[in-house]
Amino acid sequence: MLMQFLASGFMLGSVYGLVALGFAAIYKATRVFNFAQGMLMATGAYLAVTGSVVLGLPLVGTIAFVVVAAGTLGVVIQWLLIRPLAGRPLLAMVMITIALSIILRALIVIIFGGGAQTLRLGLPEGSFVLGSVRISAIHATAAGVSWLCMALFMVFFRFSKAGLLMRATADSHEAAVLSGVNVNRINATAWALGTILAAIGGVFLGQLQVASVELENIGLLALPAVVIGGLQSIPGAIIGGLLVGLIEQLSSGYISPKARDIFVYVPLLIILLVRPWGLFGERELGRV
Amino acid sequence: MPTIRHASRWKALLLSGAVLCLAFNASARAANFESPQDGVYADHIDWGMTADMSGPSSGAQNPWGQGFQDAVKVVNEKGGVGGRKINVLVEDTRYDATAERVAYEKFVSQTPALGTSGMGNSSAQTAMVPLIKRSKLPVVGTYTTAKAAVEPPTPYFYGGFCGFKEMAQTGVGFFTDHLALKQPTVALVHLDVASGKEYAGYMEAAVTARGGTFKAIPIKVVAADATPQVLDILAMKPDFVAIHGVTTTSILVMKAMLQYGINAPAFAISYLGTPTVYDGLGPDAGKNYYFVSCFSPASSDLKVSVALSAAADKFGHSALKDDVNYVAGYVIGNMVADAIGKAGAEPTREKLSAMLNTGYVANTGGLSSELKYTPTDHFGLTALKPLSFDYATKSFKSYGEYADFGKYLQ
Repeated sequence: MLMQFLASGFMLGSVYGLVALGFAAIYKATRVFNFAQGMLMATGAYLAVTGSVVLGLPLVGTIAFVVVAAGTLGVVIQWLLIRPLAGRPLLAMVMITIALSIILRALIVIIFGGGAQTLRLGLPEGSFVLGSVRISAIHATAAGVSWLCMALFMVFFRFSKAGLLMRATADSHEAAVLSGVNVNRINATAWALGTILAAIGGVFLGQLQVASVELENIGLLALPAVVIGGLQSIPGAIIGGLLVGLIEQLSSGYISPKARDIFVYVPLLIILLVRPWGLFGERELGRV
Repeated sequence: MPTIRHASRWKALLLSGAVLCLAFNASARAANFESPQDGVYADHIDWGMTADMSGPSSGAQNPWGQGFQDAVKVVNEKGGVGGRKINVLVEDTRYDATAERVAYEKFVSQTPALGTSGMGNSSAQTAMVPLIKRSKLPVVGTYTTAKAAVEPPTPYFYGGFCGFKEMAQTGVGFFTDHLALKQPTVALVHLDVASGKEYAGYMEAAVTARGGTFKAIPIKVVAADATPQVLDILAMKPDFVAIHGVTTTSILVMKAMLQYGINAPAFAISYLGTPTVYDGLGPDAGKNYYFVSCFSPASSDLKVSVALSAAADKFGHSALKDDVNYVAGYVIGNMVADAIGKAGAEPTREKLSAMLNTGYVANTGGLSSELKYTPTDHFGLTALKPLSFDYATKSFKSYGEYADFGKYLQ
């Protein structure tokens, strides 16, 4: 049973890691703590419903539609809401993302109605046995795609010119501006990537159950994941997501479903008290 | 003789004239009757409706609200009740007890209504029992019925949905007989909330009454996976499974059961017998999924659902007519119109409640089991029947008539 819980936790945690990675990408580049990340994930599920059900696109077409639409949405959010508030206090940014989440929820309810929408993308279903562990094909696909997306992001972040500029902007906003880096474009790219990653997570969670605005609550598990892993750390976000997935499965399986909240949020409190920069983040030192 | 006959004719004419005048006066007075403090006006009646239209339970309560409003629209198109149109005042309470109380108080005095329907939050109902008794605004046809509101009956409170105790007894009774079991082994996956624990209590009582073995397995409302719950089911090897929760609960549990090769049938509470759940499950997982309900989806009996289908089609809700929540709202909307009519030509809150309390049976046209209120029973609906979905014909299938399953109720 332990192996089964570990396998399930790993696969679920991979999706959390993907959403958390999007959160970290936005925070690292723009220093915005994005409380709308959960709703962006739910939006991804509804974009997939739009692509597959409303537009009747095949699987590949639906995925392309989700990626393009989510990326555009991220750029629009940065351009309309985040960019005008550059330099404002943190509270204003936080309130903007909370308001964004509420607006997105209301828009989804207006467009799709309050009910859940069925999402059937034709992804592999059924299950297979690996050793003593039974694995669902859709969970395995979700985990595989999540790891592929995370790997692509890491390659982009580490080896591409845009990734280099993003890291430079994250290290020092002022220095990047002085060096002639188009910081607004970098920030827009970060928002586009963060939204795309959240949306892909939403597509899989919508396929595992249904597309519903309540997916936001699952998406918000990305917050403890990134805080535990380290707000500034890309690998930390992924590992944080995996930890949340594993903790969820083990605590639900061995104690009670409600124990999940204790075992996820107590480590978060400890981390914030003892090591606020997270397990894999770097301590920020200010020169006086 | 001719003179006497002539005089009698005059008397008869005078008497008829007087009777006609009285009748005309009475009808004119009734038509002009107004009681603004009760939401009753010469040309319309204000009626409240609260539902979660954008909160966590909106997926189920939105169709209920649409069914309710569609039924009232049809009544209004036919001239209303006693010449008065019913004006539905809708409040979105977002499954929030405080919002429910604020809306109720608004209907009591701020925008007075003759009565209100919906109130789909059992915690709010439980907390508001003293307020309802004090304010005397009838709550007629609720989306869920809290035990505290009907045991003992609360004056001015009348339920309008299938009860958890009856769901448990009908489901356990049907599957025990259907599978020819002597002592059933039953697993229940339920939300770790008040109604889930209440349902677990009823399920345990129903299973142990048959000498069976029972296990309650909690799950969170916001669950992303049901592996821990299904591994528990796997270890228990139940004859059948019961499900209490929301749409995602059914989908996660049934899909995980399929993944782990558990072929046991499962029955869910009434709220989860919707096309969305069956669409989400697909035929492989959906073939083992049943639900018990006191309302009949349109496709389960095309003869009795003609008017409902016509209303759903007319108002753009064709996709909802197979949703038991929409059917429930439609039945309650019609019941409210009928009850207002039976409250007399000069309806008030007091007259409406008195009429319901002295014994009322609604004509639901076969769309539900018998809906009746008595001085000692304000619950409304008691009988249920099991249903499932036939993916080949894309229609719901019932396993008998409501009366066939009354034997399971205690």
